[in-house]
Amino acid sequence: MDIKEHFTKVIKANEGLIYKITTLYTDEKQDRKDLYQEIVYQLWKSFGSFHEQSKVSTWMYRVALNTAIFHLKQSKKRPVTIPFELEMDRLTDESDKAEEDRIKLLYEHIQQLNLLEKGIILLFLEGKSHEEIAEIVGISISNVGTKISRIKEKLKSQIKKNADYGT
Amino acid sequence: MELEEMKLAWNDLSKRVEKQEILNQQMIEKMTKDQYHNNLKKIALPEYIGTFICYLGAAYLSVNVPKLEEPLIQFFGVISIALLLILPIISLQSVRAMRKVNLAAQTYLETIQVFGEQKLRFQKLQKLNVSLGLFLMVIGVPVLLSIQGVSLNPTPLFWMLYFPLGVMFFLGFSYWVFKYYNRKLKATERILAEANE
Repeated sequence: MDIKEHFTKVIKANEGLIYKITTLYTDEKQDRKDLYQEIVYQLWKSFGSFHEQSKVSTWMYRVALNTAIFHLKQSKKRPVTIPFELEMDRLTDESDKAEEDRIKLLYEHIQQLNLLEKGIILLFLEGKSHEEIAEIVGISISNVGTKISRIKEKLKSQIKKNADYGT
Repeated sequence: MELEEMKLAWNDLSKRVEKQEILNQQMIEKMTKDQYHNNLKKIALPEYIGTFICYLGAAYLSVNVPKLEEPLIQFFGVISIALLLILPIISLQSVRAMRKVNLAAQTYLETIQVFGEQKLRFQKLQKLNVSLGLFLMVIGVPVLLSIQGVSLNPTPLFWMLYFPLGVMFFLGFSYWVFKYYNRKLKATERILAEANE
């Protein structure tokens, strides 16, 4: 299998992961598409040097999350995009309302976290171990536990605040 | 929503996403081409055009300023030339800094720190750039008028009213710019502080 074929296979297997990251780090549809393309491009750029030194998922999360941060800076200066569909609506056609509301609420909560917490919570929700989160984020394993506890507290106070304001 | 509930909602989302095909092979191939990424270079195009215009202005003043007779206007002319040469360098430097990042080699935390530091530097440079640009506008007007042969001495209103008004406008606008950027700088500093907690 040549490198391009291998890369395509890796991307195809993980396109959902890229999608989820783009939805967490952008607010608009067009912006989301731009970030999606940029992540694929950055993954391709580092694919040659990656050589499976770490797990595919660790490398992917690291590049995708790092790209998302830098996209925040450039999002107002958009390059031309390759046309493709990337719509949450498409994913919610036959879904039930309660599930959709739950997902919306989830996004609302995550959007209120800071950049570091956002990355950690995403990896936590993806079911990554503390070891893997520590490797991707660059903090100690014990610090991962501390940060997750703090996020829990923060979420609780957010819920309380929202309840107080009647939202 | 507790963390466990969030996990359930995330799993729902994951199941939905997995069912969908977002990209095909051709799209992935297109996205990996440099041709696409070259579009990003267009980001710097306005900066390059701005640099060209500034240098044209500096060349024009360099030719004409020695012909001016009044020492004050000559002094303003020299300052204007210096500003026209410096401003684009500041602008291009901040754009260049944005490109020097190896996204695969850094951890997420390191990227947040680099992002915050670059943003901070960019905002400081922008603050400086806007202030110097405004200053250039104020001192550039008498220089240009003198080059055009308009003598400012017989028009006392210029020095007594228009010029002080221009300076006051410059100071007022600079104050507003400083306040605006200071707010932005504080927000960026918060990102860095949170990352280092």
